[in-house]
Amino acid sequence: MNSAEHIFSTEEKDILQEVMNIAFGQATAELAEVIDIFVILSVPNIKVVKGRDLPNYFINEMDGSNVVNLIEQNFLGKFSGQALLIFPSGAEKELIKLFNQENAEQSYNVDMDTLEQETLVEVGNILIGACIGKITELLSDFVTYDPPRLMIQDLSQSTPAQFPVDEDSFAISIRTVFRFEQQNVEGYLFLITKQRSIQWLKKALQTFLESFM
Amino acid sequence: MLKSLLIVDDSPVARMIMKKCLPAEHGLLIYEAGNGQEGVEQYQTHRPDLTFMDLTMPVMNGFEALDSIRSINPDAVVIVSTADIQEKVIQRVKDLGALYTMKKPPSKKSLAEALERGEEALSRVQQ
Repeated sequence: MNSAEHIFSTEEKDILQEVMNIAFGQATAELAEVIDIFVILSVPNIKVVKGRDLPNYFINEMDGSNVVNLIEQNFLGKFSGQALLIFPSGAEKELIKLFNQENAEQSYNVDMDTLEQETLVEVGNILIGACIGKITELLSDFVTYDPPRLMIQDLSQSTPAQFPVDEDSFAISIRTVFRFEQQNVEGYLFLITKQRSIQWLKKALQTFLESFM
Repeated sequence: MLKSLLIVDDSPVARMIMKKCLPAEHGLLIYEAGNGQEGVEQYQTHRPDLTFMDLTMPVMNGFEALDSIRSINPDAVVIVSTADIQEKVIQRVKDLGALYTMKKPPSKKSLAEALERGEEALSRVQQ
């Protein structure tokens, strides 16, 4: 992991951190309008991690929640990668209340499990889209998205090969914890970008900084 | 007239951007702090005319720091600088006594406006 840490200089990490701060802050404000609740974000934490180290890294970062709902969405542009949004198991029951859909089972004629899963996917779609959209806007890129996929994983049982990230890639993990105040739900967002995006990202970060000079 | 400015932000890049966006030859004495707690300490030591305060910071967040600074000096002029412009955030910092909330990233124009509004506020409290 040490060699991976040197992919970015300290200055580049500082710029990336600030871009993420701005992007997540703006995304949060927009989300609050959509779902009309107060969203609290933590300071984003940036790390470069080897793909094969990610399952253990996630366990360490997630305060011991092993069984998780993992929403994965690929984004494709000059800045390409995967967004992984992770909620501890059980969060889906709280999230569904965000949409005031406690009695939705009857309204939509679907079972509760399906509805909860759909809620996770939709919340993921909104959060990931807002965050990635803001990052790429700040860095003057444009991305397209694959549809989000929901996986329920026991991180303690996940081997690197089962994990939806290429073992040999370097991943820039950008972790933020967000909390919906009324629902007391915490989630973790990790953006995993591949090596081929890194050179572009370094240039884009410098360009971002120079735009203020 | 504004003579000193305190920038409280955990990101050195954010502080750098803010300084770059200040009008040329602003003549301000600038202090910097990397988290809310340092911000409160710097405020207590230097009593700057105007403070720019980020919200999402480690150690002590901007809400707490704003509250502490306004406890030290109820006339302290503090402008919150954040990308998170949720209505509830804007209302909360207003309730805590912030002059107003400036959206991040700043620009030369938004900084010029902030200095102008800061100066007006300072004149009011000095009268």
